[in-house]
Amino acid sequence: MDFLQGTLDMLVLRTLLFGPLHGYAIAGAIRSSSREALNIEFGSLYPALKRLELKGWIVAKWETSEHNRRAKVYRLTPAGRRQLRKEQSRWTEFVRAVGRVMKPAPGEAEP
Amino acid sequence: MTMWRRLKYLLPWHRRAAEADMQDELRSLAAMAEPHELGNLTIAAENARTEWGWTRLEQVAQDVRYACRALRKNPGFAATAVLSLALGIGANTALFTLINTVTWRMLPVAEPEHLLVLSQQDRSSVSSGFTYQQYRSMRDRVDVMDIAAYARVPLNVSINGSTEPTAEGQLVSGNYFPLLGVRPDRGRLFTPDDDRVPMGHPVAVISHGYWKSRFARDPDIVGKHVSLSGVPFTIVGVAPAEFFGVEVGTSPTIFVPVMMQPIVMPVSENLLDRPGLYSTWLRGIGRLKPGTSLAQATARLDVLTQEASWSPPNKLTGQRDDVRMALTSAATGLSDLRRQFSQPLQILFGVVGLVLLIACANTGNLVLARSAARRQEFALRLALGAGRSRLIRQVLVEGVVLAGVAGACGVGLAYWATRALVAYASAGQGAIALDLSPDVRVLAFTAAVSALAGLLFGSVPALRASRLDMTLVGRQDLTAPRQVLSGAGPGRALVISQVALSLVLLIGAGLFVRSLQNLNRRDAGLDRAHVLIVRVEPRGSDQRNAPGALERLDRTYRELLDRVERIPGVQSASLARTAPLAPISFSNRITLASGGDSSVQALMIYPRYIATMGMSVSRGRDFNDDDLRPDSPLVALVNEAFVREILKGQEPLGIRHGLTMTRGNSVQGVPQRQPLTIVGVVKDSRYPNLRDATPPIMYQTFLQTRTGRGQMVLHVRVAGNPGEIARQVRDAVQETDRDVPMFELHSLADEVDAALVRERLIATLSGFFGLVALVLVSVGLYGVMAFTVSRRTAEIGVRVALGATRSHVLWMIGRQTMALVLLGIVVGLPAAWAVGRLASRQVSGMLFEVTPSDPATAIAATIVLVIAGACAGILPARRAVRIDPIVALRND
Repeated sequence: MDFLQGTLDMLVLRTLLFGPLHGYAIAGAIRSSSREALNIEFGSLYPALKRLELKGWIVAKWETSEHNRRAKVYRLTPAGRRQLRKEQSRWTEFVRAVGRVMKPAPGEAEP
Repeated sequence: MTMWRRLKYLLPWHRRAAEADMQDELRSLAAMAEPHELGNLTIAAENARTEWGWTRLEQVAQDVRYACRALRKNPGFAATAVLSLALGIGANTALFTLINTVTWRMLPVAEPEHLLVLSQQDRSSVSSGFTYQQYRSMRDRVDVMDIAAYARVPLNVSINGSTEPTAEGQLVSGNYFPLLGVRPDRGRLFTPDDDRVPMGHPVAVISHGYWKSRFARDPDIVGKHVSLSGVPFTIVGVAPAEFFGVEVGTSPTIFVPVMMQPIVMPVSENLLDRPGLYSTWLRGIGRLKPGTSLAQATARLDVLTQEASWSPPNKLTGQRDDVRMALTSAATGLSDLRRQFSQPLQILFGVVGLVLLIACANTGNLVLARSAARRQEFALRLALGAGRSRLIRQVLVEGVVLAGVAGACGVGLAYWATRALVAYASAGQGAIALDLSPDVRVLAFTAAVSALAGLLFGSVPALRASRLDMTLVGRQDLTAPRQVLSGAGPGRALVISQVALSLVLLIGAGLFVRSLQNLNRRDAGLDRAHVLIVRVEPRGSDQRNAPGALERLDRTYRELLDRVERIPGVQSASLARTAPLAPISFSNRITLASGGDSSVQALMIYPRYIATMGMSVSRGRDFNDDDLRPDSPLVALVNEAFVREILKGQEPLGIRHGLTMTRGNSVQGVPQRQPLTIVGVVKDSRYPNLRDATPPIMYQTFLQTRTGRGQMVLHVRVAGNPGEIARQVRDAVQETDRDVPMFELHSLADEVDAALVRERLIATLSGFFGLVALVLVSVGLYGVMAFTVSRRTAEIGVRVALGATRSHVLWMIGRQTMALVLLGIVVGLPAAWAVGRLASRQVSGMLFEVTPSDPATAIAATIVLVIAGACAGILPARRAVRIDPIVALRND
């Protein structure tokens, strides 16, 4: 599926709400929590991470994981948390509006 | 916050660090993931980089580095392009600097835009300065303006007992420096307290340049002494470095208070407190007080001029002349230079503009030739995914870089050229001092011109790059005829425009050179190679009508002539009131015996002046010693123009006309007349102005002329080089009267050169640039024809194999060359005519006895161009002839 740029940002922020992750793990987390429906291209995810970092909503740090592997781990910042809440409410509004338009007409099957 | 982070990415080291970090991160992620699971990491990195921003800037920086590298790898191309462009840009910058300094530059004083210059004008709009009394009157009684005064004065300087060369000095009023708002570099400047008591303030301010050159920046300069006319003056301060007074082109070295005038101007009487004396020697400057308008101030000043005590009655009419005050802006300073040179400078600016266009066309051709060779490179880059706009931008950047390098060289060239130009123009008329340091305007101009030039000739290959076909990649066969023609098309157009522009330039140069020749030829009647002239001003010669002065001066002069004529090598010597090409400022009223009045210019001379100058008496005789006695009857010589225009061909000799006495002999306001006899007629000679027709002139002896001034110019005729006896002449003057200052010792040839300096400047420079244009056109023509021949090698080979003769091949190539030249001429001739019409006002002012549409000049210029074109085409033609068909066809 195609994504609006803003939606991808929101998904990343949401994913990081539950704890810090590195880039590869973020992609996997989105995939698994969407039950394999959303498979984000790394070529789109990685620039999104950089974008969010520039905007100050996430910060990155080099850490050594288990298996002694070095990876750059991303965390949500307080500003990022605020942005996430904003995006979430916007998204809910959006879904509601679309839902009203798509409300089944009399006689049509339920969506 | 985001902005802050974004800005950090501008810094190259931060960018590099972030880049390294990103590569690290991508490597670590790739290690964790399955192979190929992450997809194309390069594109991921590229997209991430875009997020950092500033990619365009980085690309431009890359382009600049690439362009510099390309220039280094092609030194021949780079050198030729940079050289021709630097010449064009440098010439334009030099002219612009001069125009800026002479015309637009504000004076280096406080608030120059509010500075005014005051002058008084009579009905015929002759403006003059003020007497000391008038200045005092204005200063004390006009309360709506601050008014200061100054006067230029040559100073006799000696320091620590040794005589220095005559210094250019200024007498300034006490409020001069405060009015201008300049601060001293060292010590202090004058205040009104330094200007109260006549001859009571022996203080001086020296210029920064004088402090540097003569005193080696002595840190203890304040308190040291200079002797002016033998009187010690104490130096109280040094003026700031950029200050030069208010007259552009002058550079006074020593300033002294006006009160010291009688000491530093020994040849004049005391001009400060002689009420009967009327000498408007001071110039006025001023500022309006806040709240005053120009009209108010002018009205207030006019009240003063209407008073009876302002000026004495006119000698001829017996009544006071009506004078009005004129206040004009002095923001850019006063300047004789401006009047003299603004027209030639404008014309030259047009000339160098043409040269720049030709240089741009040349460079455009060079760039085109190179871009033809780079077609494969561009096609490859397109195939690899570069956007067309990126390619176009790169080519434009290359053009701008080239022009930038040329611009920097051009600034250096301009620096040298402006100084050379000013030195050339100063020859013979005293040093012209100009502040030629580039200011913001000049640098902005250079940058703009360079950028424009770069875009101009960069755009041509840029446009062609945008039309590239990717299928050219890998193709060997780039010599197909279609490409040949399209490759030469813009090149041809450029060459044709070059030829046209050069024609305009050459015609212009030809016109100016011919004008100069005509002017030079006109001085028949002056023998300039053998005459030395020097101004002498014995004490009191400024007021020869003072009691006893007349006889004393006459004795001094006759003794001087005596001494000088005894110098070995001297053929004859004489004195005259003015130098040959200086305007004769004195005139007489003559009442003819046949009736009718005329005003005639009159020159005061001593005997043998005619012979010394190389002129001749056509009828009658020259003055002799009999005419020099105090009781001799009034005699005069006249020139042939006088006989023609005033006497209207009547017999001149022996008849008594009436000479109106202009001074001292008015009876009840009616001027008296004295009988005057003409004793000789002189052949016409081309002065005082080489351009105009000779006016009627009469000559009188020293004692018999009724004028208040007595300074004379010594003329000495020698058999050989006038410079050789200069020292002996100087000695003779010193022996006659030790205190006589001498000025402007030079030969008559120098005088004529100085009078013709504008014409010489234009003729020399336009001739030089015409030659440069010719060279550039030849190079351009050669380039295009060589390119054409190399592309048509196969075709020529086939023709020769099929039986074409050598002359046929020569004709083929030569025909193309000539076609280009002729097309250029066809475009250029009407263009030259149009330019002549558009600029006719400026141009005809500089021309002499030629019109802008002079056919002979146009024909000559055309012939020169055709010959140059033919010569340029010879080499490619010869190469074409020597093509071996077997070799040519084998390469196909």
